[in-house]
Amino acid sequence: MSVRLLALIPVAVAISLALSAAVDAVALPLFLDTTGTILATALAGSTVGIAVGVLTSAVNTLRNPTFWPFVVVQIIVALYAGLAARAGLFRSFKTAVPAGLGLGVIASLTSTPISYFVFGCTTTGGIALTTALGKALGLAPLGACFFGSFVSDFGDKAVTFALVAAVLHALPRRTAARFPLALRAMGAT
Amino acid sequence: MSALHPFSLLAIAAALPAFAWILPAPGGALATALVALGLTLTPGAGPGSTAGWSTPGRRPGFVTFRTALVSAAPFWLFLLLLHDVPTMVRMGLRITTMVASFVWLVAALSPDRLVEAMVARRWSLAMAYLFAATLSAVPILRARARRIVEAQRCRGLSPRGSVANRLRALRALALPLVLSALHEVDERTLALETRGLGTGVRRTPLAAPLDRTAERAGRWALLLLCLAALIWRLA
Repeated sequence: MSVRLLALIPVAVAISLALSAAVDAVALPLFLDTTGTILATALAGSTVGIAVGVLTSAVNTLRNPTFWPFVVVQIIVALYAGLAARAGLFRSFKTAVPAGLGLGVIASLTSTPISYFVFGCTTTGGIALTTALGKALGLAPLGACFFGSFVSDFGDKAVTFALVAAVLHALPRRTAARFPLALRAMGAT
Repeated sequence: MSALHPFSLLAIAAALPAFAWILPAPGGALATALVALGLTLTPGAGPGSTAGWSTPGRRPGFVTFRTALVSAAPFWLFLLLLHDVPTMVRMGLRITTMVASFVWLVAALSPDRLVEAMVARRWSLAMAYLFAATLSAVPILRARARRIVEAQRCRGLSPRGSVANRLRALRALALPLVLSALHEVDERTLALETRGLGTGVRRTPLAAPLDRTAERAGRWALLLLCLAALIWRLA
């Protein structure tokens, strides 16, 4: 791995963890905790994205131990974002948002078994309440858990993909060209 | 406990939740939860540099113990909301073990000692750099994010109103943060190259933590016990 990609990894992890301040300011029900993973993948490929995802989970675990079992979700996100980047799906919002919605479904399918079997769907207050709502609507326990994860992940991943597309297009072309996958991800090659 | 080798602290923090899930509940989970909570009261389990939970006038051990209880409490509430009482007790004890183990780990483990231990174990310098650089980059970027939020508010950005308005505000807050962080990659790359990170030369640790034979044996014993418990449960 080149020194540039090595330098990118801690910065991408810090981006994921620092964006919570922006989310708090606008008071939207978003996490944006995979932004660094998706951005690093779009810039440098899935291997770097996986490293960012694992490190994000590890550092997040120091603040909240419930994050560690969800490291699998970060890896799935990196692999999916790698495919999206190679397909040039970050070229515009019209392609990035549907790709993000697709990731939302995959991420909730991946996180539901972890959330259900490890935490009984109590990972965050929001997910616990939406799971309770799903149960009140007559869903089976696992279905209600998926409902809770889906509600939180679906919009979050779409916004994250749109944000990463916006970042890639705001980067000077010369800066983007220093990363191996950036131009392809934004459909410039 | 903080005098233990960093790998031993990690092994204990990983083994306790593993035992909590492997051993039959509620007895097994109760035992592991008690051990984990007991660890938070041990001398040396003071809040670490990454935790920032220190409260003046309180015994550090008690602060860690209280943090573990406060962190685990919401899970019990949500479990009661979503499940019956036996499930709440079973899962609650397991989650409490996990929470208390990690809270204790954060309090007892110094990241600097962990990096030194990794270097002494001849892990690549890149791995040690990733861990240390991430821990130092996170608070810097968080502070910058707060400054950007304040600056944009001063410029009249309104983060309230409709969802579309909030999303526009989010873009105005997130883009400067992410772009400035990406521009930092160039500086970091130059700094790392001038320090010879890309040459593959191994670093000599300045103060490698002492790794006693008994501790190494203890770590292997924990691993073997976990495997034995797993085989016993699956059989």
